[in-house]
Amino acid sequence: MKRAERAMTAWELRRLESAPKSKLRRAARRAAALLPAILAGAMIAEYKLVPAFPKYASNPIAYPISNMYVYFAAAFGAALLAWFAVSLVSRRAHEKLLLKTPLYCVLIILLIAYDLMTLKTGKLKMPYFPWADRILLAIYEDRLMLLDCISHSLVLLFSGYLIGGAAGLVTGVAAGWSRRVSYWVMPLIRLLGPIPSTTWISIILVVASSLFGGSVFMIALGVWYPVTMAALSGVGNAQRGNFEAARTFGLGSARLVFKVAVPAAMPSIFNGLTQGMSVACTALMVAEMLGVESGLGWYINWQRGWAEFARMYAAVIVICLTFTAVNFALTLARRRVLRYQEDWK
Amino acid sequence: MSAAVELKNVGKIFARADLNGTMAALEDVNLSVEPGAFVSLLGASGCGKSTLLRIIAGLETPTFGEAICGGEPIRGTDPRRGLVFQEHTLFAWLTVRGNIKFALKGTKKYKSERSEIDGWLELAGLAEFADSYPHQLSGGMRQRAALVRALAVSPDVLLLDEPLGALDSFTRMTLQDELARLWRERHSTMIMVTHDVDEAIYLSQRIIVMSARPGRVREILNVPMSYPRNRASDDFTELRGKILKSMDFAGDIQQDYAI
Ligand SMILES: Nc1ncnc2c1ncn2[C@@H]1O[C@H](COP(=O)(O)OP(=O)(O)OP(=O)(O)O)[C@@H](O)[C@H]1O
Ligand SMILES: [Mg+2]
Repeated sequence: MKRAERAMTAWELRRLESAPKSKLRRAARRAAALLPAILAGAMIAEYKLVPAFPKYASNPIAYPISNMYVYFAAAFGAALLAWFAVSLVSRRAHEKLLLKTPLYCVLIILLIAYDLMTLKTGKLKMPYFPWADRILLAIYEDRLMLLDCISHSLVLLFSGYLIGGAAGLVTGVAAGWSRRVSYWVMPLIRLLGPIPSTTWISIILVVASSLFGGSVFMIALGVWYPVTMAALSGVGNAQRGNFEAARTFGLGSARLVFKVAVPAAMPSIFNGLTQGMSVACTALMVAEMLGVESGLGWYINWQRGWAEFARMYAAVIVICLTFTAVNFALTLARRRVLRYQEDWK
Repeated sequence: MSAAVELKNVGKIFARADLNGTMAALEDVNLSVEPGAFVSLLGASGCGKSTLLRIIAGLETPTFGEAICGGEPIRGTDPRRGLVFQEHTLFAWLTVRGNIKFALKGTKKYKSERSEIDGWLELAGLAEFADSYPHQLSGGMRQRAALVRALAVSPDVLLLDEPLGALDSFTRMTLQDELARLWRERHSTMIMVTHDVDEAIYLSQRIIVMSARPGRVREILNVPMSYPRNRASDDFTELRGKILKSMDFAGDIQQDYAI
């Protein structure tokens, strides 16, 4: 409640302080916000009206041309239109849409240009440059397989991530808290830390009885190191006064660790967790491309064997979306836990 | 009846990496505070007042001598001895209410009594900021929050290290009255460090003037006035003059202030 109040005043302040705008300029800004939606329409028009390159058009078996691109553009355009409709009543939505307008315009123009260069003129050649519709079609056609791959990848990713993260938390907090633990753990960290976790893949391929288990181990190891380091420095940098105050309230060591050291180290721990996630994603891809016979990394490698470039690009897009979603979830968790830092700075 | 706090020939030496050696912060401090007393410590900056409080709190171990509380030697911290720190030690990840709750839970006195915490927030004038985080408060508000956090635990001995230092004079006087009231109601022992001579006279039964380098007890003055005290009375003014004189005698303290 207090927060919304403050946002309002900040917003009104900006309006108060900015120079008054003429009627004409306001109208122009309104119209500009409609531009991305119009361009989305142009996207469909270009795709439908400009004839395809004869070589492609004459061979629909080898070069299928579908309506996936139209659906995609229509969905995008509809979303932009809805946003515009909201922006008629909400100033915030209007400002935000205006902010994003140039970005979306350029994006759509690039998509149109790409379609012209590939499908329509054949300047960028198949099979290396499949047009956007081909890629969308590939995602659509292989959707069940891709979903299966996503779930396998996520299971492997999170098995390793959770194990490694938990282990990192334990070693990091323990070593940050106790000199004796740090005496034994530090050499281990110094030894294992500099080895990129993907190095272990060759050994795992030979030694591990289960490739899945081996990959979990490799991912976990990769996550363990940054989380350990982050927890270690987080506990080390906690304010001494916080510990002292807690001690005067009668807290013993166990509660000092869980009620003071860990919360104080949380901001740092989340840095480690974010770093660990990027390491885990890399390790996941390596594991799937080299050993594990499932998941998105395996899929992309498999399609490479068939020189199915459209499917490979499709997989790249799906990987991008998956990892974006995972990182977004992590950001949400971070924001929730570190809520108190919301308005720092 | 044994003294609430007793210091016998207490000395404290700190290792100082910057001096490549050691430094005596306290030397031969003898002090006896009877239960229920209100004692103030006055002295120049750096004369060891905080160190003295930290020894009583159990956060520092005396190098020489003995610190005794309620007949037992002080070993580590105890919720029966509360300390309001000089610098702010609020937990950044907890709201003001959360900070007070933390302290109450620490001593296992917490029975989810929301109204009790509300009372403390009211006393600190922070009712509106109950759900704010420490970084959203002003310096003075933080100090008030830290003060009530320590008060909420209701320790037998409360050590206050310049608890009202960051406050304007009006808020300060209000809180001085609140402190006096709480002290009378609870019969707890209060040992307060302050730089404000008037505050010391207004609140305490005894004033301990310390000298610096190494920190020693220079003089102990009784304040033979009944409560509530009148800041404008002749006795008050006379005692203020006496204390200022006592502190001014030392040349090196003058220097300290000049630095
Ligand atoms: N942890 C420490 N390590 C080394 N030296 C210390 C430490 N704590 C305090 N000292 C030294 O001990 C002396 C007394 O410090 P102390 O904090 O007790 O002073 P003070 O009387 O509280 O001063 P102020 O009024 O400024 O708060 C100072 O000279 C300080 O440098
Ligand atoms: Mg001090």
